[in-house]
Amino acid sequence: MVQGDNIKYIGLQNFSNVLEDAKFYKALRNTLIYVLGSILLLIPLSFILSVCLFQLSGFLRGLLVFCLMIPGLALPGVLSTLFYLFFHGRTGALNQYLVVPLGFEPVNWMMDPSFIMPSLIIQAVWRWTGMVTLFFLCGLQAIPNWQWEVAKIEGAGKWLLVRKILIPNLWHLALFAMVFLVVDGFASFSGAYNLLGGSGGILDSGLLLVTYVYQVAFPGGSGRFDFPGAAAMSLLVVPVTALLLFIILQGRRRWVLR
Amino acid sequence: MRKLISFCILTGSVIICLYPFLWMFLSSFKTNREIYQPTLLFPENFEIDSYQSLLSEQYLPFYSFFSNSLFISGLQALFATLITAAAAFVFAKYSFRGKSFLFGVAILVILIPKQAMAVPLFDWMLWLGLQGTSWSLIFPGIASGLGIVFFTQVFRKIPNELLELAKVEGFSIPRTFFLILPLVAPSLITYGLLHFILSWQEHLLPLLLLDDENTTLPIALSKLRDSSHRIPESVGMAAATISLFPVVILFAVCFRKMKTALVHLSLS
Repeated sequence: MVQGDNIKYIGLQNFSNVLEDAKFYKALRNTLIYVLGSILLLIPLSFILSVCLFQLSGFLRGLLVFCLMIPGLALPGVLSTLFYLFFHGRTGALNQYLVVPLGFEPVNWMMDPSFIMPSLIIQAVWRWTGMVTLFFLCGLQAIPNWQWEVAKIEGAGKWLLVRKILIPNLWHLALFAMVFLVVDGFASFSGAYNLLGGSGGILDSGLLLVTYVYQVAFPGGSGRFDFPGAAAMSLLVVPVTALLLFIILQGRRRWVLR
Repeated sequence: MRKLISFCILTGSVIICLYPFLWMFLSSFKTNREIYQPTLLFPENFEIDSYQSLLSEQYLPFYSFFSNSLFISGLQALFATLITAAAAFVFAKYSFRGKSFLFGVAILVILIPKQAMAVPLFDWMLWLGLQGTSWSLIFPGIASGLGIVFFTQVFRKIPNELLELAKVEGFSIPRTFFLILPLVAPSLITYGLLHFILSWQEHLLPLLLLDDENTTLPIALSKLRDSSHRIPESVGMAAATISLFPVVILFAVCFRKMKTALVHLSLS
């Protein structure tokens, strides 16, 4: 691949190799769960937070949203390190402050295969909530005054206010946030790399697509040095993201433009 | 009453968001034994050994990694902002053959995660002979589909009369572009900042493309972490704390402009 003179065209062999690879599907499934899970948690949470922020006045509003955004400014590797040291294990902070007081068994976050993915998702939510909240807050500030006045005159209830004013006005920002999250989720590497040391974690339950591409192409994982295979895998991501974005855009047509 | 409830919810979430960072900062003064007790917040006594050993480059050349990171992210943000703004200006205000096709390509660039293109990029940089240098990271970072889409929205809101005026005056297209640029300054700053943050956080591409001696901060940080506990954890915490500074400062400075741009963009 690197030397130019011994290129041999083998048609779609690389693609069919990838499509027969069980680990590829595992990575794809994990990535989908990761992306959808973080979107489903992030959008409602940021919506609530931005409405709360909207109640407050100028300076306080700015200060609080700035504080919320700080995790998004930190390096993902830092977030992972903190997560690892801070939340990790039976004596970790998350266990001590939240899980045990609520009466559950302490969770071994990084060692239990069924909790690796949730902890990756928690990390994503922690990281991006502030950014999405800022988007929504700016959307709320841009709502023209007459809409509020009409609602007041009509005596609209809270639910109607949310459905007729907030959601239609915020929808295209939510859309932008979702596109951003999908693209970022499919490309996320650093968090999982730091948390799991370049492997997929126990039973590969934290294996994300980019980690797998890295494993296939470079030493550290399998050491296969399979550049063409990795390139084929990279290209196979495109239809998946395209499909996901298409679904998001279709959803808008169904739910908002009625 | 409503205000109070909102305030409580927000304070709660801010505490949840920032508590780990407070812990991180305080941990940079701790001993290893103290760090492994995550519920312990304050160290017994504040030792600044970790900062000393980090800044005297006992473990790795921290200054050069830091300045490298700044150089790469800064140049990427600058060039990306200028080039995508110029492209978007033409997309928004002029029509030419193949326009929708080119715009489709820009959207395709968004769809393909840059990190997924790491392997072909590696190959390409090898061919260009740039492999290992900072430029191998700066060049691919300049192209940004997101920037083109963002700035196209921004420039669409500039009234056409301005362009017609420029045309009457006989200005060329580049000159018109530079005349209009100050009008969209908040958007330029917003996008530049976002691009800076994203490239500051980039992990996979520097790991692959850069030589070990001139890598960037994220990689230095993960190097400080592994190495089988030879390096005290507090050094990693100190490095993490320092790595947060440039972005937070930049962000604090640009925050107001960023809000202006976003509010303006969502006025439809």
